Amino acid sequence: MLLPRILAPVRTSLATPTTFIAPSIRVLDTLRVANGSSAPTPVLSFVRHSAHQAQGRANGAKDGPGKRLGAKKSGGEYVIPGNIIFRQRGTSWFPGENCKFGRDHCIFATESGYVRYYRDPNKHAKRQYIGVALEKDHTLPYPLNAARRRRLNMVPVAITPATNPAADRVVVADLTVGDGTGSPSSIRDTPREATRKSLKLTVGKGYAYREANWQIGRAAERAGVKVKEFVPGDRWTAWRRSSARIQANIERKRLRNASKKSGKPKARKQKA
Amino acid sequence: MASTPSIRQFTACIRCVRQIPTANGRRRLLSTSAVAREELQTQAANATPPAPPSNPPEGAAQNASAHQVPEYMQKWGTLDPQMVENKKQERRLLRREHVQPVGSRRRRAALRRSALQKAVEVPFEQLPYQCFQEARKFLLEDRQEKIKEIETQQLRIKNLMEQDPQLSGGLAAKETRLRSMRKHLNKLIILADINDPVVKRKFEDGQGDMNKPIYRYLADQKWRKYKRLVLDQRITQMSVIPDLLPSLDLTADIDLGFGRKEVAPGDFVDSAISEKMPRLNVQTFTPGEKLVTVVVVDADVPVPEKDSFTYRCHLIASNISISPTQTSIPLQRIAHEDQKAVDPAAKKIALPWIAPWAHKGAPYHRLAIFVFEQNEGRMLDVVKLGKTKRSVFNLRSFADSNKLSAITATLFRTKWDDSMAGVMERAGLKNRINVEFKRKKVEPLPYKRRTERMR
Repeated sequence: MLLPRILAPVRTSLATPTTFIAPSIRVLDTLRVANGSSAPTPVLSFVRHSAHQAQGRANGAKDGPGKRLGAKKSGGEYVIPGNIIFRQRGTSWFPGENCKFGRDHCIFATESGYVRYYRDPNKHAKRQYIGVALEKDHTLPYPLNAARRRRLNMVPVAITPATNPAADRVVVADLTVGDGTGSPSSIRDTPREATRKSLKLTVGKGYAYREANWQIGRAAERAGVKVKEFVPGDRWTAWRRSSARIQANIERKRLRNASKKSGKPKARKQKA
Repeated sequence: MASTPSIRQFTACIRCVRQIPTANGRRRLLSTSAVAREELQTQAANATPPAPPSNPPEGAAQNASAHQVPEYMQKWGTLDPQMVENKKQERRLLRREHVQPVGSRRRRAALRRSALQKAVEVPFEQLPYQCFQEARKFLLEDRQEKIKEIETQQLRIKNLMEQDPQLSGGLAAKETRLRSMRKHLNKLIILADINDPVVKRKFEDGQGDMNKPIYRYLADQKWRKYKRLVLDQRITQMSVIPDLLPSLDLTADIDLGFGRKEVAPGDFVDSAISEKMPRLNVQTFTPGEKLVTVVVVDADVPVPEKDSFTYRCHLIASNISISPTQTSIPLQRIAHEDQKAVDPAAKKIALPWIAPWAHKGAPYHRLAIFVFEQNEGRMLDVVKLGKTKRSVFNLRSFADSNKLSAITATLFRTKWDDSMAGVMERAGLKNRINVEFKRKKVEPLPYKRRTERMR
């Protein structure tokens, strides 16, 4: 059974037109191929296309300057608030006790103490933390149900009488009167409100000396301003006002349109 | 409309299961504000059960107090909580009769219309809708089934209790079995009533009787859905829980207020307001009376010498009895009664209130309020408690030594404000007013020169 298969290429080569007679060397070749293993021999071949840039920065710079990442403080080292303990890309380490993330995930201390690298399975099963222990003999994490250990980081200071607010206020109120020039005109220009005796200026949120809002709100009352009383259900006044407003709006619109250059062509006539 | 005959049957059934004190008047649960609730309680004695809307009532409460109310209030006419329709009337109802309106305004308006038109009032159970009636029939059947189950369960429990412990596999095994059977019985009692539309309606109107297990259950579920979550979060986020006690499972609702002002858990309270004692409302969801101890602790007292914090006790009040229907703990009033009491052992306030105070510039103080259940309802010795030291107060050891178990807690915060100087002066701390806390300067680490070796 096997023999005819092996001889098949021989047969084909023999079956070529009679006009062409293959040389005896080729016949031997075909025989060798037919008898050998069917798998092709592995061949290493490189194709070098002219369009592909192989050198330079074409494929992304693989070897830039180092970013100096890694631990800046080792375990047990003393740190003060603000010290960076670890620099990293991403979050290999998480801030634990008395630590925080910086804006680039670097970890810095918020208390002075001793650096600890640890895991806290109660917080998270897989994360590794960096913390700052307040005392040298403390281990992190602190026990789960114990009271937190905290530092006051403050000192009691006697309130100095110089910061008496009443004294300040008077001085500041005087300052606002004359705007520094000392000329009579400047004093005349200042509004009467500012020269008031009972004026009390306090420091607000914006570090500026100002009156309280409720005091400003009573300015009209002090000036004796009379406002026409609102009469609910007075349709006559309401109508007059609203019509006046509408007129004013129309006028304003007209002026606005007049000043505007008409860049847009006018709309075409509508078809009949 | 209000009470079906079936419900009456069932209350009788529950009474034979467990001894519960009888209902005292009507109250609004959880659905109303605490202030109104308290007012209601004071008024509960002469309150009438809600009258059906068909006959607009001449309230007995109104008649009884008619001679007290001023003339201009009498001009307002009859105000029925079932039928007040607009805001003005609702306000007047609350002002004159100290009663909250019932249900939605839409429903009250509908009731009023139908009363005005003299429409025939159809009781709720007899509403002529076929589907409704079919559903009711189905629910009633289910209820009967549950009641039968309850009866068999009771019988089983009775039999087991009479059984010899040797037969039922030892005393401990018997106890466990009894406990699980009672648990199942309680579950059945809830299940029998949970689908009743009348029960649901009464609960939503705030007219449920907290002596009954079903209303307690509903109130508990409602509390757990939102209020408890918030309270739990505040307590843990502000670290009251590991700082003052190792752990706490909240089992009772608590409302805190100063005078008329409600305080949410964790709010900053003005020092002038917190100079007086707070009032508490503690709603328990388990049956029976409890004796409780209220402790107020400041968890952030600065100790500059040791550069740390300590605790200070602001109040200990003991032997206060609360129950699901008796929720109010008006500490101010308790203090007044204490002043009248002659026997020092009969007093309730062991350590009187001192106003919370904070230095200028110091970090905020957390004032935690704990409600402890006393062990087996035993009275505590107030005279002995009164000898507790306020400063460096350790709540853990206090609770352990007096065998107290916390049922709930809340907190408020205090910091320096404009009125603090006056408060401290009145509290006898005048020498500390002029002390301000400032941040300590952090010394930088010594600069290390980069040497040849370091490179």
